[in-house]
Amino acid sequence: MSDEYNQNNTPLEAQSSETMSGSSSSKTDIDYVRPAELSEQDLYHGKSFITKWIFCQDAKVIGVQYFLTAVFTGIVGLVLSWLMRLQLGFPELVPFITAEHYYQFVTMHGMIMVVYFLTALFLGGFGNYLIPLMVGSRDMIFPYVNMVSYWMFFIAVCVLMASFFVPGGPTGAGWTLYPPQAILPGSPGSGMGIILMLTSLSLFVIGFTMGGLNYLVTILQARTRGMTLMRMPLTIWGIFTATALAMLAFPALLVSCIMMTLDKVLETSFFMPAIIQAGEVLDYGGGSPVLFQHLFWFFGHPEVYIVALPAFGIVSDLISVHARKNIFGYRMMVWAIVGIGGLSFFVWAHHMYVSGMNPWFGFFFATTTLIIAVPTALKVYNWIITLFRANIRMNTVMLFCLGFIVTFVNGGITGIFLGNVAVDIPLSDTYFVIAHFHMVMGIAPLMVIMGAVYHWFPLVTGRMLSEKLGKWHFWITFLGAYSIYFPMHYLGFIGVPRRYFEMYDSPYMASAVGMNEFITVAALIVGAAQFIFIYNIITSLRIGKPAGKNPWKANSLEWLTSEVPPVHGNFGEKLPVVHRWPYDFNVPGSKEDYIPQTTPPSEVIGAEVEKT
Amino acid sequence: MQNMHAGFIFLAVIVGSVLFHIFTPWWWTDIASNWGAMDDTINLTFWIGGGVFILVCLFMVYCVFKFSYKEGRKVEYKPEDHKLEKILTVLTTVGVIALLAPGLIVYNNYINVPKNALEVEVNAWQWGWQYRLPGEDGKLGTAQVAKITDDNPFGINLDDPYGKDDILIQSDELHLKTDRPVKILLRSLDVLHNFYVPQFRSKMDAIPGIITYYWFEPNKVGEYEVLCAEYCGVGHYAMRAIVIVDSEESYENWINEQETFSSLIAKQNNDKLKKTRIAKKDN
Amino acid sequence: MSDNTLNNLPGGYKGMAHDMGSDQTAFKGVQWGKFMMWIFLLSDTFIFSCFLISYMKGRSSTVVDWPNTSEVFSLHVGSVPVPLLLIAIMTFVLITSSGTMALAVKFGYEKNRKMCAWLVLATAIGGLTFVGMQMFEWSKLIHEGVRPWSNPFGAKQFGSFFFMITGFHGVHVSIGVIFLFIFARKTFRGDFDTGKRGFFTSQKSDYVAIEILGLYWHFVDLVWVFIFAFFYLW
Repeated sequence: MSDEYNQNNTPLEAQSSETMSGSSSSKTDIDYVRPAELSEQDLYHGKSFITKWIFCQDAKVIGVQYFLTAVFTGIVGLVLSWLMRLQLGFPELVPFITAEHYYQFVTMHGMIMVVYFLTALFLGGFGNYLIPLMVGSRDMIFPYVNMVSYWMFFIAVCVLMASFFVPGGPTGAGWTLYPPQAILPGSPGSGMGIILMLTSLSLFVIGFTMGGLNYLVTILQARTRGMTLMRMPLTIWGIFTATALAMLAFPALLVSCIMMTLDKVLETSFFMPAIIQAGEVLDYGGGSPVLFQHLFWFFGHPEVYIVALPAFGIVSDLISVHARKNIFGYRMMVWAIVGIGGLSFFVWAHHMYVSGMNPWFGFFFATTTLIIAVPTALKVYNWIITLFRANIRMNTVMLFCLGFIVTFVNGGITGIFLGNVAVDIPLSDTYFVIAHFHMVMGIAPLMVIMGAVYHWFPLVTGRMLSEKLGKWHFWITFLGAYSIYFPMHYLGFIGVPRRYFEMYDSPYMASAVGMNEFITVAALIVGAAQFIFIYNIITSLRIGKPAGKNPWKANSLEWLTSEVPPVHGNFGEKLPVVHRWPYDFNVPGSKEDYIPQTTPPSEVIGAEVEKT
Repeated sequence: MQNMHAGFIFLAVIVGSVLFHIFTPWWWTDIASNWGAMDDTINLTFWIGGGVFILVCLFMVYCVFKFSYKEGRKVEYKPEDHKLEKILTVLTTVGVIALLAPGLIVYNNYINVPKNALEVEVNAWQWGWQYRLPGEDGKLGTAQVAKITDDNPFGINLDDPYGKDDILIQSDELHLKTDRPVKILLRSLDVLHNFYVPQFRSKMDAIPGIITYYWFEPNKVGEYEVLCAEYCGVGHYAMRAIVIVDSEESYENWINEQETFSSLIAKQNNDKLKKTRIAKKDN
Repeated sequence: MSDNTLNNLPGGYKGMAHDMGSDQTAFKGVQWGKFMMWIFLLSDTFIFSCFLISYMKGRSSTVVDWPNTSEVFSLHVGSVPVPLLLIAIMTFVLITSSGTMALAVKFGYEKNRKMCAWLVLATAIGGLTFVGMQMFEWSKLIHEGVRPWSNPFGAKQFGSFFFMITGFHGVHVSIGVIFLFIFARKTFRGDFDTGKRGFFTSQKSDYVAIEILGLYWHFVDLVWVFIFAFFYLW
C-alpha cells in the first residue's frame, strides 16, 4: 500500500480487462463479476503516534477503542451489580449501602449495561472492526467522522463517570429516568447527577449518529465487487438493521433528555404536573409524565433490538462456521431481521400497560408485540435446524452459541408472558420483568459477545485463546447465570416488586430471603469467573498458539486478508472479488468442507453449489 | 470436552428447569379477587411457551449428541426448505393467536368496569397512602393538588357540594367489603406510584396530574399487604399499606367510625373558635 | 458511475429491485457524502417530529388557555398591530436563501466559481439575517414577560415549547450559517476547483460539498415551514 494519497474520489469506470478473472471478456464467463463502479477509496494514513493510535482513522483501531472503553464501563456495571446483590442477599452485611446508594447503583448499572456497554460494544466495537472487512471495503467511507464518533463516546463515558463524584452523587432515578421523581429531591442524585446523566446520553446519541452514518453508507455503498446484499454475512445484516434502528430511535431519547434537562434547569413543565412536596405546592404544572414514557420507550424498545439484532446476526455466523454447515434459511433470516427491526417501532407501549395511558392502546400493542414473536421464533427454529445433520465442533465458540439458544429461548418465552397485556398486569414491575430482561438481553447477547471474542480473537491478534480456560469460563458463566435468572422469575410470581432496597420486614415477602441469598452467591461466583476470561485474553496475547490465516476455515472476507492481523487498508494490493455467499460449507462435490467467498466457480467445478 | 458431556449438561439444565417449576416453593399466592382468569392465562402461556422451550432445547441437545464432529461426516447442504418454513410459520402464528385471544378477552374485562362498582379513591404520596370514599351521595367531590393544605389534606374543592360527605381515611389501612366490585381511582400528589396487592393481581400506576383507575372484586376475607409497585424515590420500598377485606357487618362498623370531610371542617372550625375564645379571654 | 452507465441501467420498480440486488452499491451514482446527509436529515426529521408531536400533545391537553398566537406574535407598525409580521418576513428571508442556495449548487456543478461563491455568501447572509430576526423576536417576547417557565399570556408550556423548538431550530440554522461562510470562503479561494484537501478531514474538496450543504439548508428551511405552521398559525 503506497504512502501517498490515491487519486481523486470521483467515480470512474474501470477498464474491462482488469476486472475479469479469466482471460476472456465475454459475459458468459462463469467467473464474471461486474466491473468496479467506484475508484479506490482515499485513505488517510496517520504518521505520528497520535494519528496512528489515538486519533486514528482506521476503523479497526476505532473498533478496538470502542471495545475497550465499552468493556471498561461493563466492568463498572458488573461491580455495581455485585453491590446491589450484596444488599439484596445479605442486607446487614454492608451498612454503607444505604437506600440512596442502592438506587444509584441500580440506575447506573442499568444505564451503563444497556447503553454504554452493549450498544457501544455491538455497534461501535464489532461494527467498526467487522463491517469494512466483511463487505470487502478498505475502511469506513468517512474515517474522520468515524474517529470523531469514538471520541464523542469517550467524552460521554467521562461525563457519566463524573456523575459519581459530584455533590449528591449519580442519579438514582432508575435507568428509565421517569419524571417527576427523577428531578425531585425524593430521588438520589436529583441535582447534578441527573443533569450529567442527561448530558452524557445526549453526547452518546450525537456520537452514535456519526458512527451510524458510517456503518449504513459503507454497507450500502462501499461493498466490493460481487458482494450483493444477499451475499453479506448475517453479522452485517444484524448490525446494519440495528444501526438503522438507532438512527430513528435515538432522536426520541435525545428529545426526552433535552426536555427533562429543561424541566430541571429552567423549571419548565414539559413532564411536570401539579405537585405537592413536603407540604409545598411546587411551581410546576400542566406537564405530562406519560409523555416522557412514550418518548423514552419509543427509543427504549428499538434499543433492545439494537442490542439483540447484532447478536442474532453474529450467532448465526458462529453456528454456521463451527457446525460446518450453511445457515438454514438465509433469506428468511434476513427478512426476519429486517421485519423484527421494522416491527420494533410499533410495540413500545408494551412497557406502559399499567402506566395509565389510554386503555385501548393495550389491545394494539399486545397484538403487535405478539406478532413480533413470530419472526423471532422463526430465527430460533433456523438456528437449531442448522445444527441438524451438521458436523458440530464442540469448542468454546459453539458452547457459547448453544448457551445463547437456551437462554434466548427462555428469555423470549417470558417476553411472551409480558407482551400479553392481561398477563403483564400482575407481573409488571416485579422480579419477573427483571429476570426476563436479564435473561434475554443480558445473558443471551453476552453469550454471543463472549463467543464472538473467542471466534475473532485469532483474527485481531493472530493468536488463539486457550480452549481449556474457555470451557471453564463458559460452563461457570452459563450455568451460574442461568441459576441466577431462572429462579428469579418465581419471585415475580409471588409478586415481589422491583427496585426494592429491602423487603422491609414484610411478612408477605419473607419467603424471598433464601432465594435472594442463593442468587447473590451465584452472582458473585459468575462475576469472579470473568477473571478467567480476562486472564485468558491477557496471557494468550503473549503465549497463545499462533493462529495463522483462517484457523476456523471460515468463508467470509475478514479471514481472507493479505496479512493477519489485518493492516490499514485491509486487503493489500487488490480488493477481493466475491463469487458466492459465505455459507458454502460441506457442499456436495467439493473437496474441502468450505468454499471461501472469493473462490471463483471455475476452481470448484464439481461442487453442487446453490446459486447465491 | 466432547459432545456427550456437553449434551448431558444441557439436558440437565432443561430437566432441572422443569423440575424446579414443578416443585418450586415460590409460586403465586392464593388469589383473593375475581381475576383468576389472569392466572389461567398465565398457565396457558406456561403450557404453550414452556412446551416450545422444552422442544427447542431438546432438539438442540439431540443435535449435539448425534452430530458431533467427525472428519468426513456427510453434512446436509440445504440452504432453504420453503415447505418447512411455511409450516413453522403457521404453527407459530397459531400458537401466538392461542395466547393473544384469551389474553385480550381478559383485558377487555379489565378495562370495562362493572356499573355497580364502588369508587374508592386512593391518594399516593411520597411515601404513604390515604383514601377517600364517596359517602352517601355516591359521588366524590372534585379535588386538586393545588388546594391541599394542612386543613384540607385531600385538596377537596370547597365549592363542590358532592365533596362534603366524602369519607376521609387518613391512615394507610383500607377496608373493603367482600364480594363487591371496587373501582380504584388513583390520584398521585407528587410522583408515580402504584397500588399493588399481589393477591388481587390487578394494578395500575398513579400518575400526578391525571386520575387513573382499575377494578377488581375481592372475594376472600383477610388482611393483605399493599406494595408500591412503581419506583418513587428512596422510600419506595417502605411505602406500604394494608387492605382488609371485611364481611358485610365488619365493614359497616368500620365505615361508621370514619370521618367525613364536613365533620373534619367542623372539627377544625371548633378548634379555631376555641383558640379565638382563649385568645380573647387572655386579652 | 458515468452518466452513460447510469442511463443504461433499468428504470422504474424493476430498476429499484435490480439496484438493490446488485453488488457494490445499492443506490447507483449516489455520492457517499450525499447519502450520509440524507440519512442524517432523516434522523433529524425524527428529532423535530418528536418535538412537534410533544408540543401538539401538550397543547391539546392544556387545561389553561393557550395564548392567542396572532396577538403574541404581532409587530406594531406605527400604532397598528400587524399579526405575524415578523415571522412572515423571516419565512420570506429563509425561503429566498434556499433559492440562492439552489442556484449556488447549479453554478457549482457548472464550475462557475464566482457565481457560486457569491450565491453561497448570499445564502449565508440570508441565514444570518434569519438568526438575527429570531434573536430579536426572542428579546421582544422576553421583554414582554415570556419565560420558559411561565408567561403572562396563558399556559406555561407556551413559553417552554416556543423557546425550545425555535431555539433548536435556530441552532441548526446557525451551524448552517457557519458552514456557509466557510464554504463561501473555500469557493472564493478556488478550493473546490483545485480539489484542495480539507483541514480536518484531509479529503479532497469537490463541488458536491455545496450540494450536500444545500440539502442541509433546504431541510432547515422545511423544518421552519412546519414550525411556522404548527406553532405560529395554529
